[in-house]
Amino acid sequence: MKNNIIEMTRGFFNITVAVNGEKKELAVRNGEFLLDALRRHGWKGTKKGCDTGDCGSCAVILNGKPVLGCLVPAVAAHDGAITTIEGLGSVREPHPLQAAFVEAGAVQCGFCIPGMILSSKHLLDVTPNPTEAEIRKALDGNLCRCTGYVQQVAAVKNAAKTLAGKGKRA
Amino acid sequence: MPEIIVKPSTLRELWVMLPELPAARRYLAGGTDIVTADNAGVEPSRCWVDISALPELGAIKETARALFIGSCVKISKIEASAAVRKWCPALTAAIPHFASPSLRNMATLGGNAANGSPCADGACALIAEGAFIFLALKGSKRRLLLKDFFLGPKKTALKKDEVILGFEIPKRRHAGAYFKLGPRAYFGISKAAVAVTAEISGGVIRRAAVALGSVAPVPLLAVKTGAWLAGRALSPGSAALAAALVKTEVAPITDARSEAGYRREMCGVLLERALNSLT
Repeated sequence: MKNNIIEMTRGFFNITVAVNGEKKELAVRNGEFLLDALRRHGWKGTKKGCDTGDCGSCAVILNGKPVLGCLVPAVAAHDGAITTIEGLGSVREPHPLQAAFVEAGAVQCGFCIPGMILSSKHLLDVTPNPTEAEIRKALDGNLCRCTGYVQQVAAVKNAAKTLAGKGKRA
Repeated sequence: MPEIIVKPSTLRELWVMLPELPAARRYLAGGTDIVTADNAGVEPSRCWVDISALPELGAIKETARALFIGSCVKISKIEASAAVRKWCPALTAAIPHFASPSLRNMATLGGNAANGSPCADGACALIAEGAFIFLALKGSKRRLLLKDFFLGPKKTALKKDEVILGFEIPKRRHAGAYFKLGPRAYFGISKAAVAVTAEISGGVIRRAAVALGSVAPVPLLAVKTGAWLAGRALSPGSAALAAALVKTEVAPITDARSEAGYRREMCGVLLERALNSLT
C-alpha cells in the first residue's frame, strides 16, 4: 500500500486485517464482499444466506461490533479486526455460548447459528446479564427457519450464567 | 460493486479528489441501502466515495442551543448517546425500530436521509424533532429544515456531489414518541409510522409536531395536526380528535407493503397511541 492506495496486483487487492486475533494479508477480488472473501480464504463458518442484509447469517464482528459481511466491501475492512465464529471456540473447546446452544438444542439445520452466536457474543460483552427482552432484541436481525426462537433465547440465558460463574472464579 | 472505491480522510481531501473521479459516482456511508441497490442492478455507479471516515461527519456535538449529529455517526452510537436520549425523545423511540442491531452498527442518519425514502424511520423522527440538515459543496454550506429536504420518492434537495454534514436539533425540553406498524414487531419496513414531539406544561400541549412515514411521497410533517394540538389539553379526547384530523393530511398509496385505506386508518390509530403515551 502506497499513499493510502490499495494497489491491485494480478486482479487482487491485498488488504491487511486481523482475523480472530491473527494478522493476515488477504488477497481480495475487485467487487468482492467481506463475506465472500472470508469464505474463499477458509473461514466457512460465516454463512451466505440472503445476500441482501436481511437474514443475519453472515454477521461477523468488525472492530468490536457485529456487521453483515454481505454488505461490507472487502476492501472497506482494510486495517480492521474481524472475529468470525471460528474465533470463538472449537469442537474440543467450545465457547460457553457454543456449548449452551448445543446443550439447549438450539441448533437444527445450523445455518443461522454462527451469526446468532456472534450477535449474542456482542450482547453479552456489553450486557452480561440480559433480560429475555434484551436477548430477543439483540437477535432480531438473525432469522432462523427451523426452531421458533425459543431454545436460542434459553441458550443465551444459560451462557450468561456460565460466563458470570467464570468471572467470579477468575 | 463499482470498480473504484476511494476513501478520503478529510473533507478538504474529498473536494480535491472529486474532479479526478468518474462522473457516475456516489457517496458510500454505511452502505446498507446503496450496496443492496447496486447488487440488484438499480442505480449502478462506476465509483463509490467512502465518506464514512471523514472526521467532520463522525461526531455528536452539543452546544448551548442545539445538538448536532454528524451524518456518518452509526445508528448504534446514537442509540448509546445520553445527549440524544435527553434532547431527542422521538428519535430515541424510533431507533429500536430502525432495521436490526447489526445494520444499526453500519447504517447512518445521513444515508437514511440521502436515500430519500418516505419510510425512513430516522428521517421521520428527525422531522418531528424539528431538525435542520446541513449540506456542504466545496466551499459553500447551506442549511435546510429537514422537512424541506425531501422532494419525492428517492428525490431530495441534494445537488451533485453535495455532502450531508449532519443534523441539528434545537434543544427544547419536550416529550416524544415513535409508533411504527410493520410486518412484525421489529426489523421490518413500515406500513405506517408516526413520530410525535410535544412541549407540555400543566397538562397542556404548548407546541407539537407530528411526522409520518410511509404514507405520503415523502416523510411528511403533518402541519395542520401539529398546529391544532398547540394549546390543547393532553387528553384521550384531544388525541382522538387529532387522530381524525391527521387522516385528512396523509396521502398513502397501495403497494407491496400495505393498502392505502388501511394505512390512512392506521395513521389515526398510531397518532392516538403516541399522544396517549406522552406524559
